[in-house]
Amino acid sequence: MNGGGSKFFSPLWLLLRTNGLQAWRRLLSFRDQSRLLSAAIMVFVAGYLWLAYLLFYKAMRFVSYFPGLGEVLVERMLFLLFAFLFTMLMLSNLIISFTNLFRNRESTYLLTMPVSTDTIFRWKFIESSILASWAFVFLIAPLVTAFGHSQKAPWHFYPITVTLILLFIVLPTVAGSWFAVLLARFMDRRAFQVAAITVAIGAICYVAFGTAPEQMQDDFEDTRVLGLMDRLLKRTDFAQNPVLPSYWLSSGVLRWLEGAFGSAVFFMLVLLSNVLFFGFLSFTRLGKPFYEAASVVQSRGSLFGHWEWFRKWRDFKGQRRYEIGFLERAFAIFKGWLPGDVRAMLVKDIRVFWRDTTQWGQTLMLFGLLGVYIINLRHFSQQLTAPFWIHVVSYLNLGASALNLATLTTRFVYPQFSLEGRRVWIVGMAPIGLPKVVTAKYWLTTIASLGVTLGLTVLSCHMLQLPWERTVMFALAITVMTLTLNGLAVGLGVLYPNFREENPSKIVSGFGGTFCLVLSFLYIVASVVLLAMGTPWPGASDVDLGKVLFGWVGFGLLSVLLGWVPLKLGLKRAAHFEY
Amino acid sequence: MIELLDLVKRFGDLVAVNHISLKVERGEFFAVLGPNAAGKTTTIKMLTGLIKPTSGRALIAGCDVQAQPLEARRKLAYVPDFPFLYDKLTPWEFLRFTGQMFRMEEKQFEAKARTLVERFNLEDFLRKPIEGLSHGTRQRVAIASALLHDPEVFVIDEPMVGLDPHHARVVKDVLKERSLQGMTVFLSTHQLSVAEEMADRIGIIHQGRLVAVGTNEELRRQSGQDGALEKSFLSLTKQEANFNEERGQAAPSAGNK
Ligand SMILES: Nc1ncnc2c1ncn2[C@@H]1O[C@H](COP(=O)(O)OP(=O)(O)OP(=O)(O)O)[C@@H](O)[C@H]1O
Ligand SMILES: [Mg+2]
Repeated sequence: MNGGGSKFFSPLWLLLRTNGLQAWRRLLSFRDQSRLLSAAIMVFVAGYLWLAYLLFYKAMRFVSYFPGLGEVLVERMLFLLFAFLFTMLMLSNLIISFTNLFRNRESTYLLTMPVSTDTIFRWKFIESSILASWAFVFLIAPLVTAFGHSQKAPWHFYPITVTLILLFIVLPTVAGSWFAVLLARFMDRRAFQVAAITVAIGAICYVAFGTAPEQMQDDFEDTRVLGLMDRLLKRTDFAQNPVLPSYWLSSGVLRWLEGAFGSAVFFMLVLLSNVLFFGFLSFTRLGKPFYEAASVVQSRGSLFGHWEWFRKWRDFKGQRRYEIGFLERAFAIFKGWLPGDVRAMLVKDIRVFWRDTTQWGQTLMLFGLLGVYIINLRHFSQQLTAPFWIHVVSYLNLGASALNLATLTTRFVYPQFSLEGRRVWIVGMAPIGLPKVVTAKYWLTTIASLGVTLGLTVLSCHMLQLPWERTVMFALAITVMTLTLNGLAVGLGVLYPNFREENPSKIVSGFGGTFCLVLSFLYIVASVVLLAMGTPWPGASDVDLGKVLFGWVGFGLLSVLLGWVPLKLGLKRAAHFEY
Repeated sequence: MIELLDLVKRFGDLVAVNHISLKVERGEFFAVLGPNAAGKTTTIKMLTGLIKPTSGRALIAGCDVQAQPLEARRKLAYVPDFPFLYDKLTPWEFLRFTGQMFRMEEKQFEAKARTLVERFNLEDFLRKPIEGLSHGTRQRVAIASALLHDPEVFVIDEPMVGLDPHHARVVKDVLKERSLQGMTVFLSTHQLSVAEEMADRIGIIHQGRLVAVGTNEELRRQSGQDGALEKSFLSLTKQEANFNEERGQAAPSAGNK
């Protein structure tokens, strides 16, 4: 670090430099922990880039050969891709901006330093946009490249697209951070809560009733495909709404690709003017609202303080101070089977989870989205008559459920042990012993997550109208995967603990968390492939027994290796743990 | 100089700070005492501008904390009970960061930082990342960097937590010296001995109200107890509780409406 002269000084620049340095050192310490594992992660990353590129490239080629509709479909895919990116970026910006602005020790610290609240907001805005966006940009990078290659784009297509995407990212960040400030400021207002609940109920009703499947009129195979395409195009029409920023981005990219530079530049300018306008507002006008909201968040008595019923309920609870909580009484049922100390641990864990809004909020969102998708499967099941496609979709569902679970086990289960370590004075010192704590946690998270994954899998089989033996098979597979993924997260949590951080998302973003996520993903991809090998679809003519055996045995061995082994190692480590 | 003008803070139904008015002169060493949950940290948070008061104002060296936040913060140093430090930086880098935040000249920074580092015995830790330092060492780094820009007002919440006797002595000496040179110190503590030894005046907060202010001697007189500060403290905070009981309510509570 140098400089610090008084002639020219920009606090924003100082913050950027300091945090940049911090991030760089974090990366280095990450590498120093284990070069081998870092290399494994690099290989995984490269593997993802390559595989995603290849699949999307193939899909593009396949679609573009579609008679008559090829071009429309290709365009539509790009529109959808960017619309999806826009939605995901908005969600992730909302969550990350909220925590980064209002639940962050650095912001609190900076509020006492001689920098303006505008500057603090600017810095947090930049930081949130990077934190919230990098992963999605990384995920879609190979897809956009594949798109360019499949369309034989000239070289200048790529720098233009990259520039446009970078510009584009500003808009969801603006939306996310503004909404986060609003949320923080008005969350406890009655009108705000009523509005939010109305919107949520409306959305659920729309998904449940508004999108009921339409019956197909004709049964001829040829027209049926066209009808399906037609429907597909109609359903995805929303992505081409001209007020969507993703529309400007996609149109700019597509027009450039066609060589219609004039019209491409027009869309770029639309994007640019919006970015400048909203970016400027964010950089100059939000400092004060941010400060007000931060003050409100720090002084909030209770969220529902305005509601009569809540106050009554609280007063009611206040009278019964020494009452034993509901959960504790519920768990008393297990008196014969579970010793008291284990029950106390479980009750504590459930309470902590329940009272941490962000935890179940994120869980609900991930699995809620998946649930909505699965409920919508019935549209397909009537139209996808070929058993091959049903087969493919059912495996994709299995993979999706497991991937969702993997994000959750990494995000919530992995840091559990580290968090407990911070409270070592009570849990680690209690006569229960750490291995028992770890085992209890393992079973709690496994049983809880099994309820969700198993339910979703059975639902998805039902929606696809699979025969019962298939349903049983998928149920078995997801059960084993749930056991494995939890074992991996709990085990690695013990093997790579981090007692310095109190913020679980920081614990996760360290070495062990990344490793856990990568291993989980690898495991899921490999399992889905192995299972697909192990269960040839009913239409297949000759069944290769060797392949079936290989698939199932491979799946079993992999599960033991990645689930049971880490858990055992973790338990062993926990037995004589040094803090 | 610090002025608190009729400060009130409500958390929903709870009145955490209840009409506190107080003036601390330039160069005065002021200590706040009070039982747990009395409202000390909340008062300090309003004084430093971390939260907005429900009503009332706080002035630091003549600047309203809410209306002129930047001027106020430039003259202020605040060390919270659990200070935030950039974990991956070294103490020296953190000191430089603070100096730059307060726009100090390079030369001036060097001179001041070196003196503080020596004073707080931080030489051996200067090149180690902060994340690896012990609690007390981190605390010393935080205090040293807060003193760097010669603040006019120094606010510190529970400063002695985690400091060994030697360094507790150093912190006390440094603060006393500075206060004799004109720095106003506002310190909240549970260690009555610290208040007794260091403070020019002592304030006692109980259930959100400032129940007594004065020198050690004055407090003793007010409580009608003689001897150590401990006796005055216990008697004053107890008297107050009885007083509330007589009025038939524990703490004055008022809803939002
Ligand atoms: N963000 C908040 N929301 C609701 N209530 C709060 C909040 N912060 C503090 N309180 C309440 O305000 C009261 C005063 O708390 P404060 O932290 O000021 O006490 P303190 O005097 O610093 O106590 P201690 O000596 O234990 O540090 C307490 O009853 C506390 O529960
Ligand atoms: Mg306190």
